[in-house]
Amino acid sequence: MLLEIDHLCLSFGGLKATNDVTMHMEAGKINGIIGPNGAGKTTFFNQISGVYKPDSGTITFDGKRIDGLKPYQINEAGIARTYQVINLFRKMSVIENVMVGMHPRLRSNFFDSLLHNKKQREEEKNAREKAMELLEFVGLEQYANEQAGALSYGQQRLLEIVRGLASDPKLILLDEPAAGMNSAEKVELNTLLRKILARGVTILIVEHDMKLMMDISDRIFVLNYGQKLAEGTPAEIQKNPDVIAAYLGGDDE
Amino acid sequence: MKNLRLITPGKIILLAVLLVLPLFFSMIGFSYGVLVCCFAFLYIVAVSGLDVDFGYCGQISMGHAAFFAIGAYGSVMLHQYAHIPVLATMVIATVLATIVGAVIAYPASKLVFHFLSLATIAFGEIVYALLLNSPGGVTGNAVGMFTDPINLFGLELESNERFYYFGLAVVLLFLLAKYLMVNSKVGRAWIAIRENPHAANGMGINVTKYKVMAFAVSAFFTGFAGAMYAHLVRYIGPDTFTQKQSVMFVTMMLFGGTGSIPGSIVGAVLVFSITEGLRMFEQYQMLIYGALLLVVIVALPGGVYGETKKLFDNLMDRRKGGNRHAA
Repeated sequence: MLLEIDHLCLSFGGLKATNDVTMHMEAGKINGIIGPNGAGKTTFFNQISGVYKPDSGTITFDGKRIDGLKPYQINEAGIARTYQVINLFRKMSVIENVMVGMHPRLRSNFFDSLLHNKKQREEEKNAREKAMELLEFVGLEQYANEQAGALSYGQQRLLEIVRGLASDPKLILLDEPAAGMNSAEKVELNTLLRKILARGVTILIVEHDMKLMMDISDRIFVLNYGQKLAEGTPAEIQKNPDVIAAYLGGDDE
Repeated sequence: MKNLRLITPGKIILLAVLLVLPLFFSMIGFSYGVLVCCFAFLYIVAVSGLDVDFGYCGQISMGHAAFFAIGAYGSVMLHQYAHIPVLATMVIATVLATIVGAVIAYPASKLVFHFLSLATIAFGEIVYALLLNSPGGVTGNAVGMFTDPINLFGLELESNERFYYFGLAVVLLFLLAKYLMVNSKVGRAWIAIRENPHAANGMGINVTKYKVMAFAVSAFFTGFAGAMYAHLVRYIGPDTFTQKQSVMFVTMMLFGGTGSIPGSIVGAVLVFSITEGLRMFEQYQMLIYGALLLVVIVALPGGVYGETKKLFDNLMDRRKGGNRHAA
C-alpha cells in the first residue's frame, strides 16, 4: 500500500470533521474521494498534506509516518498537491512556477546560488529543460514566459497540476481539479489523469462531479459527516444503498 | 529562454561615466558632488538589502536603521577597543548584524503586515535606546564616537575621492550578489513566498528558513552600509540611527520600486538627492518622506523605476503590434 490512513480523527471544537477514518490506497491507481458538501473531504485532504495536524490516528506514506509533518516536509516525502482555489504564484512566469515546484529536488544550497558555480548552473539548466518538458506534457509550452496570472482559468488549473508534478511525487493530491471546467475541458482532464498515471504517479482526487469520478476512478471512498461511509469500485459505489441515501436524502426508517 | 545578460553596452557606458565623474566634479569645482555620490553608494547598498527582504520575500521591516547601527557601531567599537584594522572591523560588524538579523527574523517570520512592522519598529527602538544608554557608556551615548577612515590593506581612504572608488566597487559587488541570488533557486523561493506563502509551503519550500535567510541577507547589506557610513563620516552618534532612518530606507525602496535591482538604485539616488536638495527644510524631513510615499502609493504603485519600465514595455509591445505571444 502506498498510502495508509488509520483511525484518523480531527475535531474543530465540538465538530468531528474527521471521525475515525481508515483508508488504504494502492500505488498506480486513481483513488477518488467523494461526499456531499461539508462531508469533510477538504479537511481530510489537508491532514494528508500537512495543513492540519490530526488529533489522533496515523498516516503512513510509502512505509513512513507523515502525520503531523509540515506541508514542505510532506512534499519532500513525495506527496504533491493542487488547491481547490487556484494558488499559483501569479506574478512569476509560467515556467518559474513549475521550477518552484521542483524546489525540494534541487540540491544547490545558498552559497551555490550566490556564486552560480558549475553545479548550480548545470542544475538550473536541467531544471529549466525539465520544466519545459513538463509544460509540453500539458500543452502550455507556448506560454512559458507569460505571467501565470495572465493564463485562462483552465490553463491555470493545468499549471497547478504540472507545478505539483514538478517535484516528481509518488502521489499527487488533486483538490477539485474539475471545478469551473466546461465539459470539453473535463474530457481533456480525464485524458491527462491517465497520462499522469502512466508516468508512475498515483492520484488521489477529491471532486464534486459524480459522473467524472465514476468515469475516472479505479477506487472510490465516500465520506459523509466526517466518517467513511463506503469504499469500492465505481460500480459497487453506485449500487451502495448508504451512498444513495446520503446523496439523495433517503429516509431513515 | 530567460534573458540573463549581465553586461550590456548601456551598463558599460554608465560605469565609464561613474569612473570619470570625480574628475568632472573637480574640474567644475564641485567637490561636494563626490561626497553626495559616496552617500548615495552606501544608501544603494542598504536599500538593495531591504529590497531583498521586502521586494522579493515580502517581509516589511521598519527597523532597518538597527542593522545600519550595528554595522556602524560594531565597526567603530571593534576598531577603538580591539584595535582591529578598519576594513576587517567592517566585515566582522556586518557578520554580527547578519547574526542579529537571523535571530530577530526567526520569531518575526511568524508575523505579517502591520504586526511585522510593529515588531521591527520596536527592534529599531531597542537598538537606538541601547546606543543612547549603553552599559558603561561604551557607545559614547549621546556624544557618539569619532573614528578613522577605511584602511584598504595599508591605503587610507581619507579623501572622498578614494572613498568614492571604494564605494563604487562595493556597490557593484553587492548588486552582483543580489542579482545572482534573486536569479536562482533561492530567489525563486523568496518570490514564491511573497506571492503565496501557503502554496510555497505546499511546494516543498521551508518558508521559515527562507524568510530568515532573506532577513539575514538584508541585514548583511544594511549592516555593511552602516559600516561604510561610519568610516565615511568618521563620526557616529545615536541621532543617525533613529526611526527616521528606517523610514528613509523604506521610502527610498518604495519610491524607486520594489523587487528589482535598478529600483533600489533609482530610489536611493532620487530620495537622497531630494533630501540633500531640501537640506534647509531639515525639520520637515519626515513630512517630505510622507509626501513621497503618498505620491508612490497613489500615483506610482510600481515606484519610479517600476512604472517607467511598465510604460516602456507597453510601448515596445505596441510597436511589435501586440504580437507578444509569437515573440
